[in-house]
Amino acid sequence: MQSKLMTHMIAGYPDRETSLAVARAFIEGGSSFLEIQFPFSDGTADGPFIQEACDKALKAGFSVNMGFKLVSEIAALSDVPVFIMTYANIIFAAGVKDFLSRCKESGASGIIIPDLPPDSDEKLYAEGKALGLHVVPVIAPSITDTRLKEVFNQCGEYIYASLRKGITGQYTEIGEENLEFLKKAAGLGAKVLAGFGISTAEQVATLAPHVHASIIGTAFIKEIKKCIDNGKKDDIYIILYNKIKALLKA
Amino acid sequence: MKPYYNNFFGEFGGRYVAEVLRPSLDELEKAYVDAINDKSFLEEYRSLCSDFIGRPTPLLYAENSTKALGGARIYIKMEGLANTGAHKINNAIGQGLLAKRMGKTRIIAETGAGQHGVATASVCAKLGFKCRVYMGEVDIKRQHPNVFWMELFGAEVAPVKSGTATLKDAVNEALRDWAWSFQDTHYLLGSALGPSPYPDMVREFQSVIGKETQEQVKELGLDVAAMVACVGGGSNSIGFFYPFLGKDKPDLFGVEAGGLSSQAGDHATRMDGIGKPGIVQGYKSIFLSDDDGQVIPTHSVSAGLDYAGIGPQLAHLGKTGRIRFEKAMDSEVLEAVRFFAENEGIIFALESAHAGAQAIKLAKKYSRDKAIIVNMSGRGDKDLFILARELDKDNWFSFLKKEINENAK
Ligand SMILES: Cc1ncc(COP(=O)(O)O)c(C=O)c1O
Repeated sequence: MQSKLMTHMIAGYPDRETSLAVARAFIEGGSSFLEIQFPFSDGTADGPFIQEACDKALKAGFSVNMGFKLVSEIAALSDVPVFIMTYANIIFAAGVKDFLSRCKESGASGIIIPDLPPDSDEKLYAEGKALGLHVVPVIAPSITDTRLKEVFNQCGEYIYASLRKGITGQYTEIGEENLEFLKKAAGLGAKVLAGFGISTAEQVATLAPHVHASIIGTAFIKEIKKCIDNGKKDDIYIILYNKIKALLKA
Repeated sequence: MKPYYNNFFGEFGGRYVAEVLRPSLDELEKAYVDAINDKSFLEEYRSLCSDFIGRPTPLLYAENSTKALGGARIYIKMEGLANTGAHKINNAIGQGLLAKRMGKTRIIAETGAGQHGVATASVCAKLGFKCRVYMGEVDIKRQHPNVFWMELFGAEVAPVKSGTATLKDAVNEALRDWAWSFQDTHYLLGSALGPSPYPDMVREFQSVIGKETQEQVKELGLDVAAMVACVGGGSNSIGFFYPFLGKDKPDLFGVEAGGLSSQAGDHATRMDGIGKPGIVQGYKSIFLSDDDGQVIPTHSVSAGLDYAGIGPQLAHLGKTGRIRFEKAMDSEVLEAVRFFAENEGIIFALESAHAGAQAIKLAKKYSRDKAIIVNMSGRGDKDLFILARELDKDNWFSFLKKEINENAK
């Protein structure tokens, strides 16, 4: 079974130029989807590495304008679909409809907002549908069957499944429990993008038969951070490129 | 307004949380509504309110202050006399009992000034929970005595370095913990904010302040013209005002932290026309944020009011005009602490002194036969290090130096 990846990055981390290099490494390394996170000052689903990267991007001058510019440049590089991930307040401040129109204009295919779940979504799902954007709900294994159906009825093709409770970052064991959960989600007919704590080729291979794509985020941020800490920003492209190749190999 | 559970207050409130937390909040809502309608639960709550907290707290006639100010009669609701020094324990004991009922074994909390952390740690010692309190590094530094008390109660104080390392970041960290730990852990949120059912639940447990005040006013036969409370997240104010919200009298004043100036980053006045509607930390309300929706840093001499959001019910009542929002500057606050210390022999917490400062401004606006009631949400013991530095710097520093030189061997 061919593994597919959704690779996650933070817009403006560590700076605009490097963000572009990261995106190119993802695309050229063989990623199937890009998830580009717009940093928010108070992202409660972010683990420590993503938080730190977001703080740094904000301090370095990230703005929503810059984010959309970056997305349009990245979307123009290839046919790999781009999904924008951020938090409720960023989209609410701009106005849900306006923000989604800008997503569309910038060439993004979809949007992921963990704290605007169906029924507390400020019309995100309806407006997204009207514009032809995928609005991708984030679900967790603790979800009840009734709620899962409710969520699926609201969303389009994709579901973003976190493989365990908690936040991003820490390693996730893949076993009976989360595979059962993935089966349930896939059983509804959703294309399941699954992540949280995926960092090895073995995990990706184990997940491959059960998901549409595996999501990897923190593992890349750690590599980027290592390069920055060692004063080797120019190595970021090649290190990420090789990492993706390795993740897809097993 | 519905009696126990509203979820939304006008356009504000709600439950904007990641799916992972939804089942826990559904469970909490059910347990809360069930408990608040259960006589035996309320009986237990009342009994701990009296024996453990020391309720009812007195309503003090501030006679000397009244004379000095020369206007309406000033009364002070003495929440600072509650066990652990502030109103925070009214809510902590309520939620602690609820957590017990839900079969939880561990409690987490956020704290700013440390008062909610101390109250929670104390309740955990009393009721037998494991306890972890998240506190911003900046707040740990400026409220060290409370860190010491929490640890003495057996709680673990976890420093938060992310973001601005103050109250809002401690809330974020507690939410992150809860996303892991909800099966055995209750998140004991300390103010009337956050995703539903917290704003309703915290108000309900804090309404004991207002209900007592209402009875005391009746007993004394006061003609109350105004009530004044400080507003951080909004728990002492909403609890104090609660029985009077449905009427159009008395005037209700919520006092925010004016800080150093009205420049961004220098204050925490959200209701001054500067705050914007937003969705942060699971609820919709008014927040200090920039055009992109990033939450901006705040400042106040009082750690407990140093927060960028405000409880959704207060935001709504500000919009309808039932509650008027005012601010007190850091300098006015210190002056108010001194004023009530000298005139009444009581020490306001820096948070509560915001309300005190407003009462000083209001006294002359009402006639002598009327009463103004100030909620002293906490006492100032915890602020010793800040007050002594601000009001008596040289003596204080020479004391600290001596203490280290002579006793740190
Ligand atoms: C004494 C005191 N008053 C007021 C507050 C502010 O909180 P709230 O607005 O929820 O009452 C705090 C918070 O730490 C406090 O310690």
